[in-house]
Amino acid sequence: MTDTDLDRLIACPTCDLLHEVAPVEPGYKARCRRCHTVLIAPRRQSMDVAIALAVTTTVLMIGAVSFPFLSMSQSGLQKSTSILGMVAIFDHGLMIVAGAFVAMMVIALPLVRALALIYTLLPLRLGRKPAPGAKRVFLFAQWLLPWAMTEIFIVGTMVALVKLMGLASVSFGPAFWLYCILVVVVAFKDASVCKWSTWKLLNQSAAA
Amino acid sequence: MVDMETSEPIRRGLTARQAGLVGCVRCGTVHRRGTKECRTCGARLHSRDRMSLQHVWAWWFAGLFVYIPANLLPMLRTEILGRTVDSTIIGGVIEFIAHGDYFVGIVVLLASVAIPVGKFIAVAYLALSVQFGLKIRKHRRHVLFEVVEFIGRWSMVDVFVVALTAALVQLGFVISIVPGLGAVCFALSVAFTMLSAQSFDTRAIWDRIEEQDQT
Ligand SMILES: [Zn+2]
Ligand SMILES: [Zn+2]
Repeated sequence: MTDTDLDRLIACPTCDLLHEVAPVEPGYKARCRRCHTVLIAPRRQSMDVAIALAVTTTVLMIGAVSFPFLSMSQSGLQKSTSILGMVAIFDHGLMIVAGAFVAMMVIALPLVRALALIYTLLPLRLGRKPAPGAKRVFLFAQWLLPWAMTEIFIVGTMVALVKLMGLASVSFGPAFWLYCILVVVVAFKDASVCKWSTWKLLNQSAAA
Repeated sequence: MVDMETSEPIRRGLTARQAGLVGCVRCGTVHRRGTKECRTCGARLHSRDRMSLQHVWAWWFAGLFVYIPANLLPMLRTEILGRTVDSTIIGGVIEFIAHGDYFVGIVVLLASVAIPVGKFIAVAYLALSVQFGLKIRKHRRHVLFEVVEFIGRWSMVDVFVVALTAALVQLGFVISIVPGLGAVCFALSVAFTMLSAQSFDTRAIWDRIEEQDQT
């Protein structure tokens, strides 16, 4: 079998079952017959939507880091903390390890994934050749998916609030609301990318 | 539009390995056996990753190794009027329940005890089932890997709670709360078990199911 013959096949990444590549209508999903992993899921105007959502994620993250996240008031005193202030709590010895984890999962990795998507898709959208190392960047962004923990951080915030409620009155800063919007935008951004279609496009424009 | 040669393995419901081919786990592209690198995405190809189980076990033991001190060392160190109180994961849960904070108590118990312990058992069970060919039901496998892949990372919620609590309280009130070494160990434990799950070559689990269906 030649590569062109083999290009008519797709092997499920989860269970290795072979499928024939069939054209999938935008908005529909082709799943594995055996384990139901999504194989092909093209979207209409997928690239424009993905790039727009990735840019939105970047802007929201910059906002979420710059403004106060939570403020606490007790006997007339009010003080607020930003997300960076929370990271800075882990400031000595082995604590720096935990601080780095929090900084990565809450701020850096969601941002890196959004930037990686822009880096991969923007040259394709403009009809140019892929940016240098675009394949590696796209692969790395896929691998990072479980490590970007925006939605888990918001749940953590809720738990911390319930925990401190008896101690003092806590209120949300603008960064909290920006981060909540970010969680939703990130979810839509991740859903807008069809890996299979993106790989095909990356190869077509590299060959052109 | 598929010729006989490529439609045959699909009709018979073969895996890429059974058809003498290699599938890429990153993008699904199919290659002839013996190809080293995926022509679509550039990832390295393995028909079945032989090193996968060793990596799974290495990260699994690393995760378990730091999960023990994560439970013994304090997650939070609270200072009230010069008096220092250390609270461990379990100590914290008991305190919440005693104060009537059932919601927080249950969330912390789920995130820091039930999910990590469940994940250690699930990964070990899946790895052993591949190594020794234990019988494993299709449905159970599905549920197990779901737990490992999607729920495991939620354990990190506890580290975020510790960080936020400490950051808020350190704003300069009478009491001060700082994260303890337990929080570091716990964060590492979650990260190691996530790496353990990510190293798993899931195709090996499905191979076992296939063999049992045929016998
Ligand atoms: Zn499958
Ligand atoms: Zn590939």
